[in-house]
Amino acid sequence: MSAGPEGDRFALLAAAGEVADGTLLLANTAARLLGLVVPAFADVATLDSISPDGELHRLGSRVDAPRGREELEAALLRRRPLPDAPVGLPRAIVSSESQLLVSVTDADLHAIASSDEDFELLCALELRSALFIPLRARGRAVGALALGVGTSGRSYDQDDLRFAEVLAGRIALALDNATLSQTVTGLERRLEATLTNLAEAVLVREPGGQIVFANSAAAGLLNLHSAQNVVDATPQQLMDLYDVFDEEGRRLALGDLPSSRAGQGEEAAPLLVRNIIRATGEERWLLHKATPVFDPDGSLSLIVSVIEDLTEVKRAELAQRVLAEAGQELSSSLDYERTLQRVAELTVPRLADWCAVAMRQGDLLPQVALAHVDIGKVARVRDFEARHPAYLTDPTSAAEVVRSGEPLLIPEINGEVLSGATRTGEELELELARELKLRSVIVVPLAIADQPPIGALSLATAESGRRLGETDLALASELGRRAAIAVENARLYGELSEIATTLQRSLLPPDLPAMPGFRMASLYRAAGEQNEVGGDFYDVFEVPGGWMVVVGDVAGRGAEAAALTSLSRYTFRTAGKLLGDPIAALEQLNTALRESPALSLVSVCCVRLRTADGDAYADLVLAGHPPAYHVHRGSARPVGVFAPFLGAYEHGGWEATTIKLEPGDQLILYTDGVIDTVGVDDRFGEERLARTLSDATGAADAVRRIEHALVEFAHGSQADDTAVIAVERTSRGPVETRALGLGDAARVAPN
Amino acid sequence: MAGDIDLTTSGAVESALDAARRQGTVLVLDLRAVGFMDTSGLRLVISQQQRAEAYGHRFVVVPGSDKVRRLFEIAGFPEEHALFAGAPTELAGGDGA
Repeated sequence: MSAGPEGDRFALLAAAGEVADGTLLLANTAARLLGLVVPAFADVATLDSISPDGELHRLGSRVDAPRGREELEAALLRRRPLPDAPVGLPRAIVSSESQLLVSVTDADLHAIASSDEDFELLCALELRSALFIPLRARGRAVGALALGVGTSGRSYDQDDLRFAEVLAGRIALALDNATLSQTVTGLERRLEATLTNLAEAVLVREPGGQIVFANSAAAGLLNLHSAQNVVDATPQQLMDLYDVFDEEGRRLALGDLPSSRAGQGEEAAPLLVRNIIRATGEERWLLHKATPVFDPDGSLSLIVSVIEDLTEVKRAELAQRVLAEAGQELSSSLDYERTLQRVAELTVPRLADWCAVAMRQGDLLPQVALAHVDIGKVARVRDFEARHPAYLTDPTSAAEVVRSGEPLLIPEINGEVLSGATRTGEELELELARELKLRSVIVVPLAIADQPPIGALSLATAESGRRLGETDLALASELGRRAAIAVENARLYGELSEIATTLQRSLLPPDLPAMPGFRMASLYRAAGEQNEVGGDFYDVFEVPGGWMVVVGDVAGRGAEAAALTSLSRYTFRTAGKLLGDPIAALEQLNTALRESPALSLVSVCCVRLRTADGDAYADLVLAGHPPAYHVHRGSARPVGVFAPFLGAYEHGGWEATTIKLEPGDQLILYTDGVIDTVGVDDRFGEERLARTLSDATGAADAVRRIEHALVEFAHGSQADDTAVIAVERTSRGPVETRALGLGDAARVAPN
Repeated sequence: MAGDIDLTTSGAVESALDAARRQGTVLVLDLRAVGFMDTSGLRLVISQQQRAEAYGHRFVVVPGSDKVRRLFEIAGFPEEHALFAGAPTELAGGDGA
């Protein structure tokens, strides 16, 4: 037959298995099972149980028929199969073999039918194929399943028979379990013996809540002396021995537990709870499961609870999770105070009720992070901290741990320890500690191996009443070590970026000088990494007969590049001021670079600005550098003769290009960070730069246009430094200018 | 060579070139599959060129894309520069290093 795809059959088997796992009454079990089979696998189905004396009891019937379904089902339920029929159900039971009737004939029906009326009923089912399967469980016959198809047009074959046998196995089990729970009273004594010796804690309650049975495992788990102590207590009395929380830290009452729910006849899902034994502060993670047991008449008879101790599993899992999450927090940010606060919050309430981190700052030991299950107490402690700064020399446990580097575990705080642990013994602070109702405290150093601690992390329990132990200490120590590494990294990084910023500043002129007849604007964008000094520089300085403007780029980054940048800038400035001539200044720098031991390459675009007879001129030289742009009346034209890098060869053959700058003209010098800027699928490039500059209205406008264009174009983080310097010839009248002569070089002094 | 040669990759390219240089007398840097190169690539070329002069072997560059050619032009290596002359034809199709 075509009884649906494989997946449906598996679903059917799984569903039948679930019914077997349940604790439904026999009648409910039968109805559920038949509902699964019809119409998925049969059009007609009946289920019988066999009593120990061999009698068949029809448990249910199900028919999928367009008309008269209820009448047919009722008739089938009443039907008593003919005990000695040569085919059909009784035959299958007696022979313990399944039967498949591929095509049901009238002769078959006559053989099965017990009367004419019965024959009519069988005919009304319009059977084409039928299956009769004996049900066996735990080595004995427990019932029989009859399945028929016809109205749906399906028929059965050998494959269906095999599937039906597998299905029957599950059904037999479900039936057997349901039968078992009905006869449990008869087995009570044997069962009790079994339960008593079980490793799992088992509690049996009456519907009224009275505990009628507990095994010794239950007594141990609940921290009671004997099973009898458990039986003697009411559930509420038992509950009052503990603080019980769910996984999210919410306090639970007796009514929240599965046993109470099962006592209300509700389906009770297993519940994992955190149990704190009030007397000792011991923490346990317990999985509560409860199952209602019903009497044959369907009324609630007993509630069986099984409690599993998952403390070890749960603690290991928690520790893993806290460490993993803390690791993520610690590596994700360089703002260590905020990170430590997040880490403190991670530990509450999973490890402790409050967590504080104090960091050494000179002689002080201020708290930098604090998390508490009770927000109000955070404010209280913060307020106290603000009024009473903590010193490293104080006799507090945190200061002691920072001084000694030894972790501290106080499993049980009594008054004495409390006053010893307060830093001044002041009444006020003692009051605070009492107010916090501390039970257990752990203080671990924030320290990297072999180094003096930089702070301390404290965990404490109060509200939960939980007692902290060696496991918690190990976890806290690891947390402290990881936090210390993160803090050190953040500090180092902070120092580095400060050095880089300082150094970078020293490589650029503090302000552009005012040049009569010209206006200037500049842009400098350091590449992404904060703690690396880039190799771009620019400079503007007065020279005999005019001004020198230079933009340069040193290949590489970091300290080496910074040193080379510094050398280049100052050598060029000195040579430029003395010699006044761009090519002569470049040759000086070339010589200096050639003298350094490693290959030191610098690209430079420099220009000397001068005026003659009221006209302004620019003498521009390139060395390994892309062209400058001359913006003149709405168009940007590249300027310069390409020539080798400085530092590459003894003689570079650098050439100056002289252009006249009309009022309003601009000259744009830049480093290759501009044209190499990475876009979505291209680099910024020279053409795009020329277009960006073509209708720039002045120096400031040109720089602004480049900056906007780069921001818009750039994709991802900036890879290289970017320097731009724009010079604009102002339109204001003739310019004061000095004549150019040899004498100037001698008398010019650094401005 | 293939891909981009910039500050982040030039170290690896340099190692490859140094390794290749020890294996023969002609070192060919084939840049035809290189889409982009920046000054760190040029630094590498100049460095190899100077080593070739010092150790007496030949160093030849096959420049490839327009962008790479432009970079060489900016750095003072015109098309007719000796650096690009005489790439052995049998190596022209290889990866250069």
